[in-house]
Amino acid sequence: MTEVLEIEGVDHRYGSLTALDRVDLTISAGECVALLGPNGAGKTTLVGLATGLLAVQTGRVQVCAGDPRRAATRRHLGVVQQSMGFPTTATVAELVRGAAVRAGRAAAAAGPVLAEIGIADLARRRAGKLSGGQRQRLALAMALVGDPDLLLLDEPTVGLDIAARRTFWQTLAARRDAGVGVVLTTHIVEEAAAVADRVVVLHRGRVVAADTPTGLTARLPDRTITARTVLDDAALRALPDVLSVTRDGDRVRVDTAEPERVLRRWLAADEQLADLRVEGAGLEQALFALTGEASGGEDVIDEKVGAVA
Amino acid sequence: MSTMIGTRAAPGRVPDVRVLGVEVAEGLRAILREPTALFFSVLMPVMFFALFASLFGGQPAPSGLPMAATMLATYGTFGVVSVMLLNPGISVAEDRTRGWLRVKKVSAAPIGTTIAAKVIATLPYALAVMLAISAVSLLLTGPVLGFGTWLRLVAVLLFGGLPFALLGLAVGFVASSNAAAAILNAVLFPTVIASGLWFPLEWMPTFVQNLAPLLPTYHLAQLALAQLTGGAALVHLLALLVTTAVGGFLAGLAYRNLRL
Repeated sequence: MTEVLEIEGVDHRYGSLTALDRVDLTISAGECVALLGPNGAGKTTLVGLATGLLAVQTGRVQVCAGDPRRAATRRHLGVVQQSMGFPTTATVAELVRGAAVRAGRAAAAAGPVLAEIGIADLARRRAGKLSGGQRQRLALAMALVGDPDLLLLDEPTVGLDIAARRTFWQTLAARRDAGVGVVLTTHIVEEAAAVADRVVVLHRGRVVAADTPTGLTARLPDRTITARTVLDDAALRALPDVLSVTRDGDRVRVDTAEPERVLRRWLAADEQLADLRVEGAGLEQALFALTGEASGGEDVIDEKVGAVA
Repeated sequence: MSTMIGTRAAPGRVPDVRVLGVEVAEGLRAILREPTALFFSVLMPVMFFALFASLFGGQPAPSGLPMAATMLATYGTFGVVSVMLLNPGISVAEDRTRGWLRVKKVSAAPIGTTIAAKVIATLPYALAVMLAISAVSLLLTGPVLGFGTWLRLVAVLLFGGLPFALLGLAVGFVASSNAAAAILNAVLFPTVIASGLWFPLEWMPTFVQNLAPLLPTYHLAQLALAQLTGGAALVHLLALLVTTAVGGFLAGLAYRNLRL
């Protein structure tokens, strides 16, 4: 197996704040890894190190067996950063052509990529006139136009509508299938789970779990029962083994590690129980169980990323 | 054990000339498509020249040359320094503020090429200022310089403007785009006046006349005037070399502390 990203024993500090603590991570060609974790987990710092934007303090970071601080190594990289800004006076086509040339490819490579991302009709529009979602697709086109071996995508779906997100995930899956390694951070956990081969959970700078999406959720014994019921919340909480009760319109959701026992008592207490559904825990719940926090859209320490030295 | 993947040719440096071409084109477009920047950097020095040349252009200067010829050197210095000091500095500050410089930093192109392109893209605009000032001078007072002398004057001003670009970059690396514009303009205008670029130093108070030799703009203007008069140029050249060294040091220091 060929590695496109190797991170070994990496610590990173901002003054007294530890952003990464002994992190090891290897990404192979053709593998898609979702990097998840709450705000401040260290996701953006990890991406910053892999892009060469941050200098390694302790440990080793290699992209395609090269140092990402070297410009030549970064020819292997395609990057979508959080809050990417563009010159407002440049057109979409000019920006993507420029990205192609910076990556060592012909400017003509821009055309097919614009079509692939679905923004060929925006080619002559200036970046200053784009919506947030269009800017995000422009960023993705610029990341792809260099035909990279490793894609580093930090919150790439922010601002995308449903159709654009679907196109994005399809594009990503196609690139992965073609042998491109992908690392992405996202707060849309369930969508990431659909395309990711592996999920790496960061919490307070440490890798607390690394597994397939199904492997991660299988670790949780919890199940979710949803139904329409005449029982109020207090009555439901009084049932044995109920962990939590939440309402969504006329439906109620009960989390439990013992669904069979709960259901027997619930059916006995409510003869009108309807629309019954029992599901395993999702990745979002697994993430919450591992970190005690919801997945964060942006890293708190993102502002600290970017010192050139 | 890692293995190099073989989806592309062995990575090397992206050809700098192609990247430089893309970066320079981007810089030129940015100036051309932003009318307010064009106004301040090109039209304002030309309008100032037209105003003062129409008032004083026919008089003899203290150097004995026609005032219009002297003003080509001094207002040329003002115009070129305005462009070279303001444009690269404000442009790099804007790129930094909006996150575009960070995009460049993670690309495969060396960031030095991007920065160099900022300066190179400014040169055509500096040349445009000189051409416009010269055209206005021709219209108002007729020819006052030989073509060879004029060419030497333009070459000296364009090369002599480079240290000001370095000083502008030093500010652009640390200040926001608005702050960079404010700082650079606050430095430019008093310096220009105190160097005798708008009015002859002989018309200025004594303390300004004493202050002028400490200013790099004064030395660039004197070096430009030396092309017209054949006067001593070495001391002014040395002063500009020192300014280049200081500007390079400050730009390097600011870059090392750059936050993207």
